[in-house]
Amino acid sequence: MGAATTTATSSRTKNRMTNTQHRSAVFMLAPATGLLAVFIIIPMLLTIWLSFQNWSTQTGFETATFVGVQNFIDIFASNSVGRDFKAALVNTALYTVGSVAIILPLSVLLGLLVHQKIAPGGVFLRTVLFSTYMVPMIAVALVFSKLYSPTEGPLNQILGWVGIPPQTWLSAPQTALFAIVILNVWQQVGYFTVLAVAGLTQIPDSLYEAAKIDGANPIQRFFSITLPLLGNTLLFSSVIAIINAVQVFEPVALITQGGPVNATNVLTYHIRRVGIERAQGGLGSAMAVTLMLALVVAIALLFAFARSRETKSA
Amino acid sequence: MTTAIADRRRLEGPRFKATPASAVLVLVIIVVAVIAAFPLAWMILTSLKTPQETMQVPPVWLPGAPNLDAYTQVAEVVSLGRSFLNSAVIAVVTTTAIIVTSLMAGYAFAKYEFRYKEALFALLIATMFLPPIVTLIPLYRITGYLGLNASLAGVIVPNLANAFGIFLMRQFIKGVPDELIEAARVDGASELRVLFQIVTPAVMPAIAALVLFAFVYHWNSYLWPLTVLQGSADQYPIVISLSRLLSYNRGAMNTGLVMAGATLAVLPPVLLFVILQRFFVDSVVSSGVKG
Repeated sequence: MGAATTTATSSRTKNRMTNTQHRSAVFMLAPATGLLAVFIIIPMLLTIWLSFQNWSTQTGFETATFVGVQNFIDIFASNSVGRDFKAALVNTALYTVGSVAIILPLSVLLGLLVHQKIAPGGVFLRTVLFSTYMVPMIAVALVFSKLYSPTEGPLNQILGWVGIPPQTWLSAPQTALFAIVILNVWQQVGYFTVLAVAGLTQIPDSLYEAAKIDGANPIQRFFSITLPLLGNTLLFSSVIAIINAVQVFEPVALITQGGPVNATNVLTYHIRRVGIERAQGGLGSAMAVTLMLALVVAIALLFAFARSRETKSA
Repeated sequence: MTTAIADRRRLEGPRFKATPASAVLVLVIIVVAVIAAFPLAWMILTSLKTPQETMQVPPVWLPGAPNLDAYTQVAEVVSLGRSFLNSAVIAVVTTTAIIVTSLMAGYAFAKYEFRYKEALFALLIATMFLPPIVTLIPLYRITGYLGLNASLAGVIVPNLANAFGIFLMRQFIKGVPDELIEAARVDGASELRVLFQIVTPAVMPAIAALVLFAFVYHWNSYLWPLTVLQGSADQYPIVISLSRLLSYNRGAMNTGLVMAGATLAVLPPVLLFVILQRFFVDSVVSSGVKG
């Protein structure tokens, strides 16, 4: 009897507990979920919907008229709308590949420099590198526009000391995009170095000891132990680096305005110009959807590549 | 005996032997640090030069007579105080709200069981990977409907919650012992009390990291404020005022002015980093490893 009552009470308590917990969960989740829904998830769905509409950003959503895939046809057409968009797409791809291709290897090298136990100064270096990540991109763009200045800037002066002729940097279409890649690398590499150090810390010392006993030199140890075991870190780093790279905006908006000759017209800048400044909301949304799809494809390819490496090495 | 020495070594931290290899490494570290610090050093040095010095060819590196004229001038050209105040309001309000909303959601994800928990978590975290430009156009319309455009509220309201914050808080709240929470519940504490009086003190390092992350992100943020504030110059944060300084500056060619403004704008986030960097590095590490 007593036992039965206890069971009944406890199950009732448990029921009450889950009920309270359910209510609490709703209460705790409501603010963040509501805000993210209204300001990110719904706008994202609206972007997809708007990409099939003819719509001016200056009017309400109700003025949108369905045009099928016309916006997508337009942004890939061979007129000026299509040419500008395709240029922005290619520029963003080049910029992203350039940034990732420099940041990733550099972050591993700098990570080794921070992580090593032979010489002092590792933590100091980490602080210096990471502090550049705190600097507003606007300030970075302002400073680099002066560093790059062909005559009054110190970069060409330094190049001159070692016998390299002055570079055009931001002022010529051939070099402008790469100059912005360098600026981006300078600002971001500290963050990725910290990620690389986190990955290096996870590799057990015993592996290196064993390899040393087997007579592997430092370079062999790097390629047979360090690099393979950094796989997951590098995968995470590349995803973040890609997503960061497609967001490049400040240096373009501030210094080059997409020029010279469209050379630095990148997607974030172009989509904002079309969708907000020219108020062509439908066209801009189609561009944004294309960017989203391109990102999904790029990241899926990256994961497929990582998996194929994994199965090969296993 | 030997172990005792080894123990003492470990207690005293790493000892570095002076070898040719370590000398080379120190040299490399110094060179890398100088390259990394160079742009900021150039910025500060230029802000102290005279207008003539900033235009000289070839460039002069050190100001002949360092002076703060550029700093007093920059305050005359843009309403510096107002811009700083705007930036501070944006950064402080968003950071405070992000801490609260992230703690609440992170607590629910870490300590409650409910249906669709994993799916909802995945959906919210996915927003972290969405570049802001993808939502910019409809968002501008939505804040227009809400009557928030051209005001500081328009900058702030869409940023009161943040997926990274939820993720970080969940990671750290998971580590808070259930017994601690149960004991408080048995004592009759409400869930909000449990969260803010028991759980919050236990995850202070993560909160410090999130304060730094959110403050720096929103102090530096440019794309959204530029879009939502279109035209209302008295609402501009410092980064937008700074960008207008450049266009003002094109005619006048006073680089020192721009560099003085940039130096001032860089100070708050970098100082906060120096103060809180230990926590920030830890949290980047944990998000990288566990994420």
